[in-house]
Amino acid sequence: MGTAAAVTALAAPSIVRAQGEPIRLGALNPLTGAGGSYGPTMRKAIEGVVDRVNAAGGINGRKVELAGEDTQTNPDAAVRAARKLIDVDKVSAIMGTWASACTTAVAPLCWESKVFLTTVSGSDTITKLPHQGYLVRTQPNTHLQIGRLGEFLLELGSKKVFVLAAQTPFALPSQERLGEVLKAGGSELIGGVIYDKDKTTFRSEIDQALKANPDMIYLNGYTPDVTIVMRELYKAGYEGGKIGQAYAVNKKLLESLPADVTEGCYTVAPSPSVNSAAYKRLAEFLGKPDLDPYSCQCNDQASLVCLAIAKAGDASGTAIKDAVRKISQGPGEKVDDVVDGLKLLAAGKDINYEGASGACDFDDIGDILTTNFRYEQVQKGAFKTLKVG
Amino acid sequence: MENYIVAMLVFAGLYGLMALGLNVVWGMAGMINLGLVGFFAFGAYVSALLTKVLGLPIWFGVVAGAAGAAAAGMVVAMVTAKLRGDYLAIVTLGFSEVIRITASNEIWLTNGTDGISGIPGPLRGQVTPEAFNLIFLALVAVVVAIVVFLLQRVRHAPYGRVLRAIRDDDQVAAVAGKTVIRFKVEAFALGCAVIGLSGALYGHYTSYIAPDGFVPLITIYIVLALTAGGTGNNYGAVVGSVLVVFFMESTRFLTEVVPGLQAVQVAALREMLIGGALIVIMRLRPGGLLPERLPRIDLPESNLPQEKKAT
Repeated sequence: MGTAAAVTALAAPSIVRAQGEPIRLGALNPLTGAGGSYGPTMRKAIEGVVDRVNAAGGINGRKVELAGEDTQTNPDAAVRAARKLIDVDKVSAIMGTWASACTTAVAPLCWESKVFLTTVSGSDTITKLPHQGYLVRTQPNTHLQIGRLGEFLLELGSKKVFVLAAQTPFALPSQERLGEVLKAGGSELIGGVIYDKDKTTFRSEIDQALKANPDMIYLNGYTPDVTIVMRELYKAGYEGGKIGQAYAVNKKLLESLPADVTEGCYTVAPSPSVNSAAYKRLAEFLGKPDLDPYSCQCNDQASLVCLAIAKAGDASGTAIKDAVRKISQGPGEKVDDVVDGLKLLAAGKDINYEGASGACDFDDIGDILTTNFRYEQVQKGAFKTLKVG
Repeated sequence: MENYIVAMLVFAGLYGLMALGLNVVWGMAGMINLGLVGFFAFGAYVSALLTKVLGLPIWFGVVAGAAGAAAAGMVVAMVTAKLRGDYLAIVTLGFSEVIRITASNEIWLTNGTDGISGIPGPLRGQVTPEAFNLIFLALVAVVVAIVVFLLQRVRHAPYGRVLRAIRDDDQVAAVAGKTVIRFKVEAFALGCAVIGLSGALYGHYTSYIAPDGFVPLITIYIVLALTAGGTGNNYGAVVGSVLVVFFMESTRFLTEVVPGLQAVQVAALREMLIGGALIVIMRLRPGGLLPERLPRIDLPESNLPQEKKAT
């Protein structure tokens, strides 16, 4: 990639060749710690965008330099890393924070220093921080995710739904939101239990659930606890429906439980635009057939930041903040690639970026307006996709 | 760059306060406290809640945070009075996890895993971020200086001598007529007060605290800082903390110049360098950079007690 970039830059006419001060952007991903399984590809996706922009002559003739740091999936380490990006590397945007606690810790540094922050964290509270516009996220929040899950349950005809949830920031808001959606559709949330996910048995929680006699149980936990809960539900003779988050009910869970135990469980997950050209390009670049949503989002975040800088003609965090919605949504020409977008902007056209993760349209506080969801069901120990949309 | 260095010095100062607190409990009185992040969190939450929710002044929150952590330390010390060595280590480690999990679950009070954001800081928002950093550095520097001064007084006082006696052999201290438990509880509370003070300041500096930030990793950083600096030596605690922050931060720049590495390899290399540097220090200076030197008291030759060498 580096050589290709150099060759292209040399071959290009001198006007196109990157000149002037380089534009400095920051990537802050969980390379180690709990997010370590996602961080490395998130970083690669961002690097890929920056390399392609530079290969195409930079933004308005200015090269893009990327500085990268590791959050260690720890707010304390994330704050120190962000200080380095802001104060030493002088970046105008920080992209790709993952854990909600890290994002919330880093966000004040960003808005105080007028640095634009893009994140994949899902916690509802993040966009409610007083960020003055210096923050957008590409991950759907709980409101949107649970809304779609509730609508899916209504489609399945579930009448009495019970929630078994691990204690997380989104456990309680999820339950409240699900109750609203179900009620609006004529069904009912008949109860819920929030448990400590590190327990080794959930008999009392399951007894409580079965006493309510539900026809659908929503398992809102993580893989280790949901594995135990499913096994115990099976042993208790529960025959109603089950639905879980795709990050919890995953291949690992299916491998560790007999097919009878997991049979029929539904999963819901925000899905990247798997059929889009942007997704296919990114999959090819990263050398993987299936991409996690965070890598797709990081690809789009880097693209959005570059396009916003080009649109504003200014690389400051404030300029990115003011321009980002002008290229992410609206009546402009649809583009799914950062280089195409830069060309159109250079030609004075309006654009509307839609990337590998989805439409990337933001509301006033920085939440995405819509995204694709993938619905699957476990059948004989394997996932079968029911629909994407 | 200047702003970054200032910010890292603030972190070093806050870690230094924690190391000073640990030095009282472990270095002076010989009790292993692997729960310091719990007291750090306690101080941070007390001060954050008092200033953010009740709107009390910051200085009051900080003092209350230190006092609250001292009270918590006293309770833990009394509960664990009979425990020594590894057993005390496990109980204190458990205590810090209890604090973290309580903070995650008592949502009505602590806002759960979302944490508390928007904690006020002195003049935050009224001055530029750079000026705020400088003001806070000055504040932390003054606090560290005062704490070092006071703890040095404790160390040189007869009181410090009793703590050292208990550290080296509590039965001998008891035989000499010292109420060992009382001294242990007081030392534990004093150390925890300093750790809580650090936590309170930490919250006002970063403006955000959450249970995820109070993981045992921080405890390990501080134990490393104190060991590298010199257990038992107050100056060593501060020097060790500056050193740990220096290692953690300088490795960012070292790894940047290594060619041909992927981001994840850089991150791994950083952790290896930090670990390696600490091993080298401990190998070359087993007593830390500034080993404890016992205060010398000139006595007539015939009365000179047999001094036990500090390890």
